[in-house]
Amino acid sequence: MSAPAAIEVRDLSKRYGSPANGVLALDRVTLSIGSGQVFGLLGPNGAGKTTLIKVLTGISDITSGDARVAGFDVRSESLKVRARIGWVAAEVILDDDFSAWENLWLQAKLQDLKDWEDRARHLLQYFSLLDRKDEKVNRYSTGMRKKLEISLALLHQPSVIFMDEPTIGLDVATRRMLWDIITGIHKEFGVTILLTTHYIEEADALCGQIAIIDKGRIIAQGSPSELKSRIRADIVQLETSDGIALATLRAIPGVQDAWPQGNDWMIRVASSEEFLPRLFRAIPTDHIRRISVEKPSLETVFLDLTGRRLGQDDEPMRDIRKFYAQMRRARS
Amino acid sequence: MRSQLWGLYVREVLRTFRNPFVLLITVVQPFMWLAFFGSGFAQYAKDLASVYGTSNYIEFLLPGVLSTSMLSVGMFGSMSTIQDKRFGFMKRILITPTSKEVIFLSKALGSATRGLIQIPVMIAAAIAFGVSLSLSPAEWCVWILGLLFTAIGFSSLFLAITARSVDWQTPGVVSNFITMPLMFSSAALYPSSGFPTWMKVISAFNPISYTATLGRDLVLHGSVDWVAAGYLAIFASGLLAIGYVVSAKWLKVE
Repeated sequence: MSAPAAIEVRDLSKRYGSPANGVLALDRVTLSIGSGQVFGLLGPNGAGKTTLIKVLTGISDITSGDARVAGFDVRSESLKVRARIGWVAAEVILDDDFSAWENLWLQAKLQDLKDWEDRARHLLQYFSLLDRKDEKVNRYSTGMRKKLEISLALLHQPSVIFMDEPTIGLDVATRRMLWDIITGIHKEFGVTILLTTHYIEEADALCGQIAIIDKGRIIAQGSPSELKSRIRADIVQLETSDGIALATLRAIPGVQDAWPQGNDWMIRVASSEEFLPRLFRAIPTDHIRRISVEKPSLETVFLDLTGRRLGQDDEPMRDIRKFYAQMRRARS
Repeated sequence: MRSQLWGLYVREVLRTFRNPFVLLITVVQPFMWLAFFGSGFAQYAKDLASVYGTSNYIEFLLPGVLSTSMLSVGMFGSMSTIQDKRFGFMKRILITPTSKEVIFLSKALGSATRGLIQIPVMIAAAIAFGVSLSLSPAEWCVWILGLLFTAIGFSSLFLAITARSVDWQTPGVVSNFITMPLMFSSAALYPSSGFPTWMKVISAFNPISYTATLGRDLVLHGSVDWVAAGYLAIFASGLLAIGYVVSAKWLKVE
């Protein structure tokens, strides 16, 4: 018998604004996330990842469709859902005037917990923060703040934790540390984790199952290896000094598809090893400025599905909280 | 609900006490009214003792300044709410079994408490300016309760007006808009007996007038104006109910 779903979403749509002029942020999303999984939602900025988390946590209303989290309906049993979920934000959100212990105290009050002190001590011990529990958190490093935020999310022993871009803006070392923490808490506490990211390597490293989301729609879903095996193709990126006709490229045996991307050509081929000698015979080699080959990866899966790279059309960071988060990190 | 309300209320109060600058401004502003406005008018009041009911203008002014201070505390509650929205803390609160109504109540009660911390400082300052206060503990309780009702009422009003706002400037603009007319159309700074009829009508509905009258009757005559006390209780309950409903429906999360 399969484990019950921790998150069940069916035909979920979310529209901001009026039906005529609004924006459809989620378009008939259907997902089933099993209990105890680390599930990744991979997509570019503006794809709908954060909107899905807002809807599942009850922060935003559902326009149409159904969603259940931890066995409860998000719309009609919102308080029950919120008692069973934890949340880790993209930017660390703590009360800077409070110590770590006071932040945990407040979280315990908000979750209406009676005996929380032992659990809080255990979490602080687990994250090596116990010695500094009485220090104001504005003196903490970024990594320590992230650890405390995860402690807050785990305090009430939730069934599901939502992590919204948990490593955005972090340096490489802190990001790696956080990956270890996410893997660790998943093993230690057995909690279901829904993680959004636009970092390919993060989804690949952490998630057992991944859904790729673009423009509010789930365009592919499966384990990282299943997704990679779907395309069975290499992607060749080609830049030439002279223009090449699409028909020339398509005429080369082994080419499955080709499309322009900026000044380059993106060519999907069955085997790059067989394709490259044919390419060099088809066009003069001195016309080739640059050529690169990508073996199947989540990046090429996304490229194959959307014709774009992840992050290719990301807009500059507008969110004021992300700006403040950056400022805070810059100060610390 | 009690657990969440207590947690958020304590957070509001602690944040005030841990920010020395806010604490200083909260206390110094009404003190300056008493010092500058009170001292400036003191000389003229001596000639108008029959109008003011005392030859010591600061004795007359103290209840009025305390009343108007309760009017401005609402702004701090709104600013604290907007700060929570902009820094994402509102989302952190709402991704727990905490309702928007509880957030509203904690903010209203938190800013009302912030208002009350001005009372001992103002009383001490007034005594230093030569005011003698001989109130019984019950009379003190009635006065403080009247001030608390005023603070709760105006905090609720501010929170309801700014429920959908995420703009830092809004509470200041709202404060500027409502403070001046309410202060000058009340009996806070001068007796309302000399007002033209249209101002008397406004003053008859103005809660600041009732707060000032309640305190002044206690300070000058040692008597309790139960009508004023009742009016303030109704004002606080009414606006608390309005704020509760408005927050449940319209409090914006971010």
